[in-house]
Amino acid sequence: MFLLIYSTLFALTVVFALGVLVFRNTVKSAISLVFTMLCIAANYLLMRQEFVAFIQVIVYAGAIMVVFLFVIMLLNLREPESPAWYLRGMRYWGGALAFLFFFVLAWGIQVFSVADLTPGAAALEELRRESGQAEVTQLATLMVTRYIVPFLLTSVLLLVAVIGAIVMARRKDEDGRDITFDEDEEGA
Amino acid sequence: MEPVFQANLILSTLLFTIGVLGVMWKRNAISLFMSVELMLNAANLAFVTFAFQLGLLSGGILVLFIMTVAAAEAGVGLAIFIALFRVHRHIRVDEQDMLRG
Repeated sequence: MFLLIYSTLFALTVVFALGVLVFRNTVKSAISLVFTMLCIAANYLLMRQEFVAFIQVIVYAGAIMVVFLFVIMLLNLREPESPAWYLRGMRYWGGALAFLFFFVLAWGIQVFSVADLTPGAAALEELRRESGQAEVTQLATLMVTRYIVPFLLTSVLLLVAVIGAIVMARRKDEDGRDITFDEDEEGA
Repeated sequence: MEPVFQANLILSTLLFTIGVLGVMWKRNAISLFMSVELMLNAANLAFVTFAFQLGLLSGGILVLFIMTVAAAEAGVGLAIFIALFRVHRHIRVDEQDMLRG
């Protein structure tokens, strides 16, 4: 039963991901990406990583993809997608290289020894039982103890991103010139 | 559970390859960005799979950081596309050859 659910999920994930690639309409492509992310979230649930799964749905499928769709509709990109031709034969060489990449990685995974890894679910259950805490509590504790520096750096990154996005998408005046801060102050 | 471990790594590789193909085959900047998101998701999947297999929690933490970086990247990138669209009226990446437009 588990295997049936898992294989269905596997197939669905790959199909939706291929949808991102083959749809020429950007909106359809984005919707396909949302479903890929939902399938990946279901995969996380099967691995009993509930918190990561919820964050995947809320942040990725919710917030980030809404921003994507918002920009697609704001720019009103009607023209259908067509492949890039800036290098001769790039499509075929690129495809060949990507598949070579895939086969090298798949080969690496095949020869990778799983014998010396702790079998998963048992170890995770063990960890939870001995600490007696939920996954979220453990993650939060780790986040503000061992990973406190990256956590704080992340806040700086987000601040920079917010300011950068505002500066980039700022409005320009009628002549198409950038509104500088000086002119802004004069106008005010 | 062991077949799931291998299968998830294969799935992650497949998603990453599809993302790479998208970056090379598409010319619309937003489609390119969506392919990059696909690759980030593939990396997240590999992280969570390993975290599950080894019974560690650090994988989940790394996934949270990756999501934050992806959100920041999407915000700044899409702002750049809006600025680009104002100047050129399109965002086809193969026709962009100016650093200052």
